[in-house]
Amino acid sequence: MATDSKPVPKNIRLAGGNDALAVQWSDGHSSAYPYRYLRDKCPCATCGGAGLPQQAPSPFPMLGVKPLKPESAELVGRYAVQIHWNDRHSSGIYSFDYLRQICPCSECAAKREQVANADRL
Amino acid sequence: MASRITAEQVLNSLRAVEDPHLNRDIVSLGFVKDLEVSDRRVSFTLELCSPAYPVQEQMVATAKQVVKALGVSEVQVKLTLQVTSGRGPKSSLIPDVKNTIAVASGKGGVGKSTVAANLAVALQRAGAKVGLMDTDVYGPSVPILMGGSEQPRVVEGKIEPPVAYGVRMISMAYFLPKEEAVIWRGPMLHKTVQQFLGDVRWGELDYLLMDLPPGTGDIQLSLSQSIPLTGAVIVSTPQDLALTVASKAIAMFQKLKVPILGVVENMSYYVCPSCGHRDDIFGHGGAREASNKLGFPFLGEIPLDVGIRINSDAGKPVALDPSTLHGKAFEEVAGALGAQICIVNFQAEETISLE
Repeated sequence: MATDSKPVPKNIRLAGGNDALAVQWSDGHSSAYPYRYLRDKCPCATCGGAGLPQQAPSPFPMLGVKPLKPESAELVGRYAVQIHWNDRHSSGIYSFDYLRQICPCSECAAKREQVANADRL
Repeated sequence: MASRITAEQVLNSLRAVEDPHLNRDIVSLGFVKDLEVSDRRVSFTLELCSPAYPVQEQMVATAKQVVKALGVSEVQVKLTLQVTSGRGPKSSLIPDVKNTIAVASGKGGVGKSTVAANLAVALQRAGAKVGLMDTDVYGPSVPILMGGSEQPRVVEGKIEPPVAYGVRMISMAYFLPKEEAVIWRGPMLHKTVQQFLGDVRWGELDYLLMDLPPGTGDIQLSLSQSIPLTGAVIVSTPQDLALTVASKAIAMFQKLKVPILGVVENMSYYVCPSCGHRDDIFGHGGAREASNKLGFPFLGEIPLDVGIRINSDAGKPVALDPSTLHGKAFEEVAGALGAQICIVNFQAEETISLE
């Protein structure tokens, strides 16, 4: 067909266990994205996908810090998912291609390293 | 005397009839309905997934032939239409619209709006329920192309779209005096797209065609994000310049995982009405070549003709009269498009569950 055949999610679970969002892909791969990692990789124009600096210390430590988690999410068209975080940030539209690119599993991380090394040569 | 023919035998024989677009037999596709076998007479309904299916006569003829081969003296085949929709996620904005098709080009001036309007008319004439959404907020042209003096009305907080030639339409042109311009930034455009989708009483539609503005910007993105589009039709002239820009639109839709339903070559050639000499003003066949190279279906070519221009300006799309060369051309493109939509909807689509 006329679309590219990159893998797409079959199942996305916000509460994927261990404070992570879980994705089952059409090619059989599974990814688990720790919330902090995913939030830091927010691709919205303000965050720029570059990752925020490590979480700023709370100015009101006496109030305690709520643990970060996604409150809800919705599919965007046919290509992405938009996550509403409990820190009130929700403008990040995570495209499936992007999600797959940043999969933190050791296999994908190794592949990324390989590519980066090849670029350096 | 041979034994009585059973319904099972008939169905088995019909398994030999393939839908050439879907590459599967009509029985397993579920196209055969209301099968009745009595003595030596057989009747059934063939349910097609698109109006103006280019191969329907051939399919009916083959079906009759294989059933007759069983020793049946009379075979009656009735054709009905049941336009399918994709198995992917449904949009809550337009729950009763089966298919949404973006008509795009990348480049301006290649005839997107003319093609969109004529395809809408051709699909409607073939028996489908069709809507036409003019998402070109800056340069709306659908109301001119489609004619009619009807205005949208607000009924119970929703917009009742005007109807021309059986096609329901909405356009920014209805909401602005002719001499005024829309000078907006992105967020306003996004809101308009959302309103055109959710606040217009589209009702049940087989196809909602969306005439896009040129480019790969706010409106295209808003539309692709607001609803899971069934697919996109790319309009281009044969010239390299237009094709180069069209490939940008294709790249955008691929990024957004919107299937490309096919490419239409507009202004394909010019036939001089007085001497009959044919001139390929913008070249010829460029769009066909490009779509073959990229692996997209080629939906057809529309000639450059003063008749199309005159009728467009007069609000009488040439597709209204398929006895003309241009009307026929649009009818064929509409048939090819309908078939491609069937194929896209038929292909197993992963539904994404989100919990």
